Amino acid sequence: MDIPDVQPTPVSLKNQPSPSYEGRGLAVPVTDHSTDHPIDHTRGTLPLEDFMSQNPTAPQTDLPMGDVPFSEVPASDDPRRGREVLAPNGPFEAPAKEFVPGPYYMEIEERFPELAPREGTQVPSTGSPASQGAGFSVGRRDFMKLFSATAVGATAACVQRPVEQGLPYVNQPVDQYPGEAVWYASTCGDCTAGCGVMVRTREGRPTKVEGLPGHTVNDGKLCAVGQASLHGLWHPERRAGPEMRFGDSIKKVTWPEVYEHLGEKIKNSGGKVAIFTGGSTGHRHGFFREWLTLVGSQPSRLYTFEPNTLIESTVAAYKIAFGIDGMPYQDLSKAELIVGIGSDFLDVGTSLVSDTKGYTKSHSYQAGKKGRHVQLESVLTLTGSKADERFVIPPGSETVATLLLVRALFASSKAKGSAQGRIQIQQVLDSKAALLEAAYGKLGLKKEFFDKLADDLLSQPAVVLSGGSANFDENATSLQLAAIMANELVGAYDNVLHLQKGLRPAPVNPGDLSRFLSEVQGIEVLLVIDSNPLFSVPASWGLGEALKGIKYVASIQEFPNEVDDVATYRLPNHHWLESWGDEAPRLGTWSLRQPTVRPTHDSRQAEDALLWIAATLKRPMGYQDYRSYIMKKWAPIQQTLAVSGAGSSTETFDTFFKTSLKTGLVGQELTTAIPALAGGVSAAFKLVETPGVGFRLISPLDVRLRDGRHAHKPVLQEASETLTTIAWDSYVALNPKTVAQLGLKKFDLVKIQGPVGVIEASVYPLPGLHPEAVLVPRGNGHAKGRGTIEGGAGVNPLMVVNKAQDSVTGSPAICGQLVKITPLGTVYPLAQLQKHNDIANRKDIVKKVSLAAAKEKPVRKVDLDDVPDIYPALPKLDYRWGMSIDLDKCTGCQACYVACTLENNVAMVGREQILLGREMNWIRIDRYFWGNPDNPEVTLQPMLCQHCNHAPCEAVCPMYATTHDPEGINAMTYNRCIGTKYCANACPYKIRRFNWWTHKWNVLGNRLQDRSPRALNPDVTVRTRGVMEKCTFCYQRIRDAKHKAKLAGRLVKDQEFLPACAQTCPTEAITFGNLNDPASQITQDRKDGRAYLALGGDPDHGHFGIKTLPNVSYKAKVSLNEVEGESSEHSTHHG
Amino acid sequence: MANVSSQVHWEKTISEVNDEILVNLEKPHKSFYVALGMAASLLLAGVVFVGLHTVYGLGLWNFAPPLYWAVDITNFVFWVGIGHAGTLISAILFLFRAQWRNTVNRSAEAMTIFAVICAAIFPLIHMGRMYLGAYWALPLPNTNNLWVNFRSPLLWDVFAITTYFTTSLLFWYMGLVPDLASIRDRSKGIKRLVYGVMSFGWRGTAKQWWHYEAGYGFLAALATPLVLSVHSVVSWDFAMSIQPGWHTTIFPPYFVAGAILSGCAMVFNLLIPVRYMFRLEKFILPQHLDACLKLTLFTSTIVFYAYGVEFFLAWYSGNEYEWAIFEKRAIGPYAFYFWVMVFCNCIFPLAFWSRRVRASIPVSFVICVLINVGMWFERYNIIISSLVEDFIPGSWGHFEPGLFEIVITLGSFGLFFVFYLIFCKLFPIISLSEIKLIMPKPLSPHHADKKDKDGGHHG
Repeated sequence: MDIPDVQPTPVSLKNQPSPSYEGRGLAVPVTDHSTDHPIDHTRGTLPLEDFMSQNPTAPQTDLPMGDVPFSEVPASDDPRRGREVLAPNGPFEAPAKEFVPGPYYMEIEERFPELAPREGTQVPSTGSPASQGAGFSVGRRDFMKLFSATAVGATAACVQRPVEQGLPYVNQPVDQYPGEAVWYASTCGDCTAGCGVMVRTREGRPTKVEGLPGHTVNDGKLCAVGQASLHGLWHPERRAGPEMRFGDSIKKVTWPEVYEHLGEKIKNSGGKVAIFTGGSTGHRHGFFREWLTLVGSQPSRLYTFEPNTLIESTVAAYKIAFGIDGMPYQDLSKAELIVGIGSDFLDVGTSLVSDTKGYTKSHSYQAGKKGRHVQLESVLTLTGSKADERFVIPPGSETVATLLLVRALFASSKAKGSAQGRIQIQQVLDSKAALLEAAYGKLGLKKEFFDKLADDLLSQPAVVLSGGSANFDENATSLQLAAIMANELVGAYDNVLHLQKGLRPAPVNPGDLSRFLSEVQGIEVLLVIDSNPLFSVPASWGLGEALKGIKYVASIQEFPNEVDDVATYRLPNHHWLESWGDEAPRLGTWSLRQPTVRPTHDSRQAEDALLWIAATLKRPMGYQDYRSYIMKKWAPIQQTLAVSGAGSSTETFDTFFKTSLKTGLVGQELTTAIPALAGGVSAAFKLVETPGVGFRLISPLDVRLRDGRHAHKPVLQEASETLTTIAWDSYVALNPKTVAQLGLKKFDLVKIQGPVGVIEASVYPLPGLHPEAVLVPRGNGHAKGRGTIEGGAGVNPLMVVNKAQDSVTGSPAICGQLVKITPLGTVYPLAQLQKHNDIANRKDIVKKVSLAAAKEKPVRKVDLDDVPDIYPALPKLDYRWGMSIDLDKCTGCQACYVACTLENNVAMVGREQILLGREMNWIRIDRYFWGNPDNPEVTLQPMLCQHCNHAPCEAVCPMYATTHDPEGINAMTYNRCIGTKYCANACPYKIRRFNWWTHKWNVLGNRLQDRSPRALNPDVTVRTRGVMEKCTFCYQRIRDAKHKAKLAGRLVKDQEFLPACAQTCPTEAITFGNLNDPASQITQDRKDGRAYLALGGDPDHGHFGIKTLPNVSYKAKVSLNEVEGESSEHSTHHG
Repeated sequence: MANVSSQVHWEKTISEVNDEILVNLEKPHKSFYVALGMAASLLLAGVVFVGLHTVYGLGLWNFAPPLYWAVDITNFVFWVGIGHAGTLISAILFLFRAQWRNTVNRSAEAMTIFAVICAAIFPLIHMGRMYLGAYWALPLPNTNNLWVNFRSPLLWDVFAITTYFTTSLLFWYMGLVPDLASIRDRSKGIKRLVYGVMSFGWRGTAKQWWHYEAGYGFLAALATPLVLSVHSVVSWDFAMSIQPGWHTTIFPPYFVAGAILSGCAMVFNLLIPVRYMFRLEKFILPQHLDACLKLTLFTSTIVFYAYGVEFFLAWYSGNEYEWAIFEKRAIGPYAFYFWVMVFCNCIFPLAFWSRRVRASIPVSFVICVLINVGMWFERYNIIISSLVEDFIPGSWGHFEPGLFEIVITLGSFGLFFVFYLIFCKLFPIISLSEIKLIMPKPLSPHHADKKDKDGGHHG
C-alpha cells in the first residue's frame, strides 16, 4: 500500500518556519504535536510512544468514538472504502480488497492496535463502561482477529447508516483534551484571495476561523466573510444528502446511485460534458480539465465565472496589455500616493485583507508620516470614505477620468514607461483626443487638476487603482487598461505592483460566460460546481433558459441555490472546512487547504464525486481521492522549492507535505519584471464614451454578502453595511438632494424601472453620491422560500438590467444602465443599526488632528489616567488590561464585529428587532458624516464597552451583577443579573446589550437561524432572556493566557494573546495589552499624542469630561488638511 | 387653614355619623358596580399582558435601546408619587392639626397603600423575570455570602418603599381600629366575628383611647420624614446616574413637590365619585375639597418653580450634554409631552386661584385629572427624553409606546381602582372617630350659632 497516510495536521508552534507563532497573539493554546517522524506506511501502525509524542491528529466530530465500529460509520459509497462494490477492477492504486484507512479514523485501534480494548470487552453498540480501565494487553493475534473482523465488516456493511452526531466521547481519544483547542492551518475558500486560516477546533468541531499568522496574504488577519464561513459550515439548511429529480418529484438517493446514473448519462452523451465553476488559483481547474478530457470531453469545456469584482476585467486587461495570463496584486504599503478611480480595494477588491493591511501601513499616521489618498468615484464606498481628497464624478465616467489622468501623465516630462509603451499610450490618447477634451466639463474637473495630480503621482511612490462598481460596466476592461497605462507612466510597476506570471494561473478565464452561452447547444451534461450563475448573472442573459435546455444539469453545491431549480442532480458538496484543496495566492507560494472536521452531512467533495464518476465509467484517473491528486501536484512544488532554495532538498515528500499541512503555506513570494505594453491596446478603447445624463443604476458587490453567495449567513446579514448601517435588506441609496428633488423621504418605497425589469426597495439618502447615481447593492434578493435566512430579504438589482456586455471580454455589464425611479407612495422602514448620522457638534467623542499637530505632539504630556479624583487610586496589580483604537486606521470592514460575535456567542436578532434597536452586537461601528452632504467626510468609530475605572454602571446595579475586576475589566456576572437594566441606562456609551428574548438556537424570529449550537464557542456562557451582556475583553482568552503564564511561572507577555476583535482587525487599529507593563504596545498607544478618552473632555486644558476613566482609549484621526479650530490653539498652547 | 371646621357649616350631627357613613357597607350606589366592573376588566387585561410578557420575554414591549426604562418606570414613579399625598395628609397635616384632613384622611391613606402596591409591581414587571427579582433584590443571607449592592439607588428604593408601605399600612390600620369596632357593634353573625377580630377587641375605654392617641401620634411622627424620603430616594434612581437630564441635585425636592401635587389631585379625583356613590356630600363638605385644592395649587407652584430652576441650571452649568437634553425636551421630537406636562402641572392649576373655579366641582375635577395626566407625562418626559438622545449620537434612538405599554399601564389603574372600590365597600370611607372630633358637639351653644351663619369662609 503506497498511499501516503497523511492526516490533516494541527498547526504546530515549533515547526512554523517564520515568523513564529510566539508573540503572535494566539489566545488559545496551539496544540503542540510535532510530526517530525514520518509514519511508517508499510506497517500502518506506529509505536505508541511515537504516537503520543507526535500524533498527527485527525479532526473528529463529537461522534461516539467507542460504540460504532469503524467499518460501519462511513457509508460504503465513500470513495475510500468498500470500493469493490462499485469498482471491482479498482481504479485506484491500492489493491481493491485491502482495508485502507482514510484520513479520518473513528477508533484509535484502527491505527494503534495496542490501544484497543481487551478482547471480549469490545461492546458493539452502546459503549458500555466495561471497556474502561482495560489495559493495553491486546496481543498481535487478538489484533489480527479484530482487524480482520473489522475489515470483513467494512466489506459487508454496505448499508447507508444515518450519521449520528453531537454525542460526547465515550472513549476519550488520546490526543484530544476536553476544553483544549486544537488548531489546524488551512486556506480560506470563500474568495479567490487565498488567505491562510487557522481553524480552532474543540472536541472535534471548528468553533472559530482566524487568520494564519505569517501567511503572505493576510498574516493573521481575516475579513468578515472568511470568519463567517463557520456559519456556512454549521448552517442548518445545508444540503443533507444527494437528491435526484424524477419528472416532477425530487427524491433522496444514495451516492452510488448518483454515480451510476450520472456516469451513464455522461457515457451516453458522447463527450458533451461541461463544468461550470467559480474562480480558483489552485489545482482545482487543472483537475477539472483533466477529468473532462478523461470522460471524453475537452478541457475547454471548463467554464469559469467569478462574479467577484476586479477579477475578470483585470485578468483580461493584463492579458491584452502584457500578454500575461495572471492576476496582479498590489503591495500598497509602499504607495505614498494612491489615486483610486472608482476602486473600492478596501471594500471588495481582489484581496481585501492584503490591500487593507498594505493601505494601513502606508496611509495611516505613523511616525510623522501619512500617505495621501485621492479618490474619484460616483458612489460613496468604504474606500472613498477613507480618502484624504474625494471627488464625485458621474457614474460611468471612470474610464474617461483615468484616460484624462493618463493624458496628464503622458504630457509630463517626469513620466516613465518604455518607448514601446508610450507609443501605445499615444495611440490611445490620439484616438480619444476629442472625447477627452470634452470630458473635463462633464466630470466637473479641470485640466489643471489632472496635471497637478499627475505631477504628484510622478514625484513619489504612487499607484493608480481603478475598478469598483465600474468593473461591472461596459468599459470595465478598458478602465483596467487605462489604469495599467497610468501605472506604466507612473512607474508603479517598479515599486508598488508586483505582477505574477506563469506559476499562478488567473482565477478565471475572462469571457467564459459568453463562451458558455454560445456553446451551450453542444452540452448534454453540465456540472455546476460551487457557482450560482442564475443569481449572479442578470436574468436578461437568459442563463436560466440555457440551463433548462441542457439535458442533465448536476448542481454540486454546499448549500441549496437557484441552480437547483433546473438541475436533475442536487448534490451536496463539502464545505471548504471539510475539503482538501490549495490556492496559489502569490507568485511562488502555495497555500494548502485541509479538512478540519469530519463531514457532518452526507456530502462529497465535488472533486471526489468526479473521481467516482470516472471510476464508474471505468476510466480511472489514477487518484484515490482529491487529496492524492493534490499530493501528486505538490511533488513538483517541493522540487521547485528545493531547487530555488526555498525548501529543503533532503526531506522526503511526506515530511514536506506534513510540514506544509502544519504551516499552511509553502514557498517564497517572488516578483517578476513587467514587460512592455503590447500592441493593440487602443482597440480596447474603441467603444469608450462619456456617459450621458440620467439616473444610472450602480450595483456594487456588497462587502459582506458579495454577489449573494453569503446571504444565508446571519452574522453577515446582521453585520450591516458600514456606511448605511442597514442590515438584512436592500436599499436604494440616492444623493440627499436628489431624494428631495424627487419629493421623496427616507424609507419611501420606490420602483426602479430598468431596461428589462422592475424592483422595489426603500430609499436611503446617502451623502456623497453623485446626483445621477442610483445605488442598489447586490447580495440580497433571493426568492422567498429559497432559504429561511436569505429568502425574501431585499431585492436583486440584476433583475432590471439589460444584457449588456463588457465591450472587450463580453462579461456581463451590470452597472451604469439607465433606470427610472417611481415613488410607490408607501413606506418600508429599513433596519438600521445607527439612526443618527451626525456627531451633533460634540467635541470629545470623535477627534481629529492635523498632520502638523500630530507631528508636533507625538507623546502626550498629560497622562490620560491622571485625573483629579476624590476616590483612592486603584491598586496596582500585575495587570491592567486596556485597549486602544486608532480612528485613523479603521476602515469599517466589520471583521471585528464578526470575530466578536462568533467568539462570544453573541445572538443575531434579525430585521424586526433591529428596527426596534435591539441588536446585540458587543462592538458597533459608529459612522458619522461631516460636512457637505454631496461629499462628506466620514469618520468611523468602533464603540464597545469602555471598561471604565469609574464605571457608572457598576455603582447602580443592585445585584453586584456588574463589578470592577481588579485588573480594570468591567466584569459581568450573568447569573447575578435580574434585569433592572439600570446599568445600561447609566452607561454613557450605550453599549450594554439586554437579552429581550431568549435567542433560541436555530430560530430567529419566525425564521430559522443558522446559529447552530455546534458553532458556539464552548468557552463562553450563552446568555438567557432578561440578562444584560456586553464586551468582556474576551475574558476567556485573558484567563487562558494567565493560566498558561502561571504554569510557566511568568507574567503574560505583551501581544501573547489578543481579544477576538483585535486579533482579526486587518488594519491593526485595535491594540490590546497590559497597561501596567510600561513596555507594552498599549502603554505606548495610551501615551500617544493623539490618544484621548471618549467623553473624556480635553485633559490638556483641564477638562475631564464625565470622568468615567475608560480603559479603552482612542487615537484621533489624522487629517492631511487643516483642522478647524486647531490653528488658534497651536499659537496659544503649543507655540 | 388651621381650623377649617370651626367655620364649617355642618348639616349633620354626630349621632348621624355612624348610620350614614356606614351605609356603604350595605347598599352602595349602582355606579359602584359599574366602576368596579370597569376596573376589574382593566385589571384582567393587565394581568393577561403581564403574564404574556413573563412567559415570552420583555421583548414584547415596545421600548428598546437606548431606552432601557420607559413606561414601566414612568408608572412606577407615578404611582409612588400618588402614594405620597396619603401620608402627607394623614401624618403631616395631623401633626399640624389641620382639621380638614379628618374627612379625607381615610381614603387618602387607602389610596397610598394601593398606589404603593401598584408602584411596587412595576420594578418587578420591568425585569421581565419577576420571579427572580422579587426575592433577589432583598438583602437575604445566602450560602455564598453574597449581598446586594448597598450603593445602588435601586436597592435604596427597595428599602424606602418597603418602609413606607409598612408604616403607611400600620398607620392606616391603626386609624381603622375604632371604626372597625363600630362596624362590629352594628353587624351580626360571621361579619361580626370578622370585624371583631380585625378590631382587636376595641372597647373604646379611656385607657384604650389614651394608648391609641399616643400610638397614632407616634406613627404620624414616624411617617412624616418618610413623606420626604421616599420620593427623594426614587428621584435618586435618576439623579445618581450621570445621564444628562437626570444628574441634578434639584431632583429630591422637585420630585417630592410633584408627588404631593399628583397625590392631592388624585385625592380630589377619588373623593368626588366616592362622595357621590356613597352619598357623603354632607360629610365631605365643599370647604374640605377647597382646602385640598389649595394644597394642590401650592404644590403646583413649587413644581412650576422647579421646572424653571432645572432649565436654568442646565444652561448655567455650561454642560453641553445637559443643555442639549433640555433644548430637545422643549423643542425637540418629544416637545409634545413636555408641553402637556407644563400646561397640566403649572398652567391649568393656576385657575385654582379663583374661588369660583375651586367651588365648581366639575371644573376642579377636570383640572385635577389633567394634573395627574401632566404628572404622568412629567415622569415620561424625564425618562424618555433623557435616554433617547444622551451622549453618543451613534446610539440615539426613538421611542413611542406600544400595546404592552398601554395595556399594562391601564392594568395598573385597574388594580388600583379595584382595590380602592373594594375598600370603599368594606371599610368606613371617612374616619368615624375623627370626624366626630371636628363636628360640633350636640350640646354646644357654639353649634347652635353656627347653624344660622353661612360657613363658607375659611383661611
